[in-house]
Amino acid sequence: MQYVFVVLLAMNLFTSTLFAVDARLKIEKDVEQRVRIALVDGSMDQSSKVFNIFLSDLKISGHFLADTVHHQGDISSNMLPPTLKSQEYVLRYSLNQQSGSQLDVRLLKGSDGSQLFKKSYSIPTTDKMPFLIHKAISDINDMMQYPDISWITRYVVYAVYSSPGLSEIRLADYTFNYKKTIIRGGLNLFPKWADKDQRSLYYTSYKGTVPALYKLNIYNGSKEEIVSSDGMLVCSDVNSNGTKLLLTMAPEGQADIYEYNLGSRSKTRVTDFKGIDVNGKYVDDENSIVFISNRLGYANVFKKSIHSPATSQVVYHGRNNNACDAHGGKIVYSSRESNNAFGGNTFNLYLTSSGSSDTRPLTTTGTNQFPRFSSDGSTVLFLKQSGRSSSIGYINLTSQQSLLFPFNDRKIQSIDW
Amino acid sequence: MTQKLLIAGTVLSLLLSGCGQNAPELDGKNNITDGSDIGGDTVSIDENGAGYGSGGSMGNYNSSSDGFRSVYFGFGDYTIAPNMESNMNTNVKVGSSASAKIKIEGNCDEFGTDEYNYALGLKRAKAVKDSLAAQGVSSSKMVLVSFGESSPVCNEPSDTCYDRNRRVDLRLVK
Repeated sequence: MQYVFVVLLAMNLFTSTLFAVDARLKIEKDVEQRVRIALVDGSMDQSSKVFNIFLSDLKISGHFLADTVHHQGDISSNMLPPTLKSQEYVLRYSLNQQSGSQLDVRLLKGSDGSQLFKKSYSIPTTDKMPFLIHKAISDINDMMQYPDISWITRYVVYAVYSSPGLSEIRLADYTFNYKKTIIRGGLNLFPKWADKDQRSLYYTSYKGTVPALYKLNIYNGSKEEIVSSDGMLVCSDVNSNGTKLLLTMAPEGQADIYEYNLGSRSKTRVTDFKGIDVNGKYVDDENSIVFISNRLGYANVFKKSIHSPATSQVVYHGRNNNACDAHGGKIVYSSRESNNAFGGNTFNLYLTSSGSSDTRPLTTTGTNQFPRFSSDGSTVLFLKQSGRSSSIGYINLTSQQSLLFPFNDRKIQSIDW
Repeated sequence: MTQKLLIAGTVLSLLLSGCGQNAPELDGKNNITDGSDIGGDTVSIDENGAGYGSGGSMGNYNSSSDGFRSVYFGFGDYTIAPNMESNMNTNVKVGSSASAKIKIEGNCDEFGTDEYNYALGLKRAKAVKDSLAAQGVSSSKMVLVSFGESSPVCNEPSDTCYDRNRRVDLRLVK
């Protein structure tokens, strides 16, 4: 008898840790804790694309268990068919894109059809329609007093290689249904949001003899050169109030991490190592950073105070942990888990923290790279490659919900959101 | 006793993996708003003609020019291999007599990720610079740039192709 319990216990621990949130192996264990909701489309031109964006928003929130049937019905009706009575909520919506985009939403109680929420959203263009849906679901989520998911309304900015020596910087919504190239021509890399409102971004331009960091206002096109450097120059992180940057630069031909004060236009060298130090990210109270270094002979994650030389190793497994991101005390990093010199390597993501050695895997299959925390640290974005297909993945760290969106674009150079 | 512990452990584990939240009771609301906070239209900038990518200086970006010879590296490596001695000797001769600044460009294959790959390219460029300086070329007339994996000379999925991309190119700044 006790062997049965041992097996049961082992199986449960195995499935709830190792395979907990892998994008392909997600086990839907908490369906009973999410509220059941159905979508009813009252649009003149009903679209599966629009419906699927609604579904994605509801799923990644971690708070809703959405009916995947695309119901149709008048948005103004309070009558609910018997088949929807079992739902706790019914979201009626109507999207009109004949002149710009207008989205009307009404949230009804499934039991009696009473209206709980109603809003109308409109913008003068059609291409940014996905943001209307994201805003509506974020608002409904707020109204129901669930943990904030406003990150779904934010832009993703990313650079892709368009041909040898050329790149483009693009904006997208988190589902990549909206995409727009904002910088084309030349080699412009490493886009990084400059402020919480996403009005400006930093990027590295190679149009001069040496790389230069520019700040671009994405709404009026104004830009200014911040700093340039021999060798390489990357804005790896921006502090919470936007006054300081963590730069990887090489004024003496040696890639190290510097903190750049935008007010005084001065820089402070944070790391000083003969090998490779890159990818600095503010951690904890922004007096410390985590970064990637090969000081042990391979790429790994380290932590250092900005104002003192003491450096500590953060990760104690893997032989190639070459990218990381941080939010507060949380750290996510990618680890190469095979050793093929060319292609076919498995990269997995792991979550750890600056204050403890607790580490858990976030993915278990494929090539998972470019991990980035959402602005609130609740969700991790990453690029997943399995075979020849690429996807943008999201893992909600609280609800353990995960989503993958096909990424039909060129090779990603860098991404931020 | 052992059996009881196992039962308790199993039940606790199952309970912990199923914790969640209840749906709140809602008050009726009827709000009208617009999408103005989604923001206005964003810019679209074309930087063609602004240096790299314009055709002129990019025409020979993927191999050395002005008499220099490219230096190739092993996978993940940034030390100059003995079989690159002939190329380096040529570069010392050309570099010593050069009147203009020398641009030393580090490049990588595609098997790296963002910042780390650019740092690797830089280490390769610096290895070449240090070697040239050790053989008499003035450090003050050399400038380093890493292009990471952005400027491959070859896109075939073969070892030979990857070898060609792990390189340092040299040219004069014009």
